Amino acid sequence: MLFSMSRNPEEPVYNRIEEARAALGLSRQELADKAGVHYQTIGYLEREEYSPSLVLAIRIAKSLNQEVSELFSLTPFKKGK
Amino acid sequence: MSKKNKIYWFEGVTEKGVKALLNDENSKYRWLRSQKNRRVLVTLMALGLILTSMGGYWPTLKTNLNLSPGAGMILFSVTAIFVIFTTVGCYSFLRIAVRSIADAPDELLDERQIAVRNTSFRYAYFIFGYIILALMLLMLLGPDLKLFQPEGNDGSYIVIATLFACAALPSMVMAWRERDI
Repeated sequence: MLFSMSRNPEEPVYNRIEEARAALGLSRQELADKAGVHYQTIGYLEREEYSPSLVLAIRIAKSLNQEVSELFSLTPFKKGK
Repeated sequence: MSKKNKIYWFEGVTEKGVKALLNDENSKYRWLRSQKNRRVLVTLMALGLILTSMGGYWPTLKTNLNLSPGAGMILFSVTAIFVIFTTVGCYSFLRIAVRSIADAPDELLDERQIAVRNTSFRYAYFIFGYIILALMLLMLLGPDLKLFQPEGNDGSYIVIATLFACAALPSMVMAWRERDI
């Protein structure tokens, strides 16, 4: 995509943020407050339209009590895993 | 938290102003944020800038319409006020529509917003370059606008419109491109 906001449009970063957030019963706004970003940035991340920096990935993983490798991947996650 | 409202003179924004827009504190502006409405604003703004830049054609138009000096002055004044208010109004709404992200400093934005702002500036810079190129060609070759010649028309309108475009283009690009702001 010409105007992609991904850091590397050729290699998207897949994530399970929405799943992990729902499991904790957090809203996008609550997760955004914990991670120190705008709530729309969480939306962009969940739709995989934006790839986070390593710092943000670590902050989100910490906010969701997960490891970065559990939350982000360069290959699509298997459903239900 | 400090209650002092930091003013960013260089960017032309205040800390409280940007935070209020980022946090949806005033819901009455929510209607501005749909991409369709943002694009309408950008179109109106572009139209206002084009009309402002064409102020230099006024003497030619007045002659062609055979208007009396009084009628000409009234028509020009009314049109000028309408165009100025439309353009300034659109610019104000545009800044609200993009939550001042195009003007805000790094410390008030998150990393995605900074990336969006920087990309908007990049495209605005290219667009501005093409506008300058087009204006230079127009000034040199355009009919009745030989501004570099003593008998040419007043070029101040083009200068005003160009400066205004320079300030507004990043917000216009952002308002046009982004799906969610």
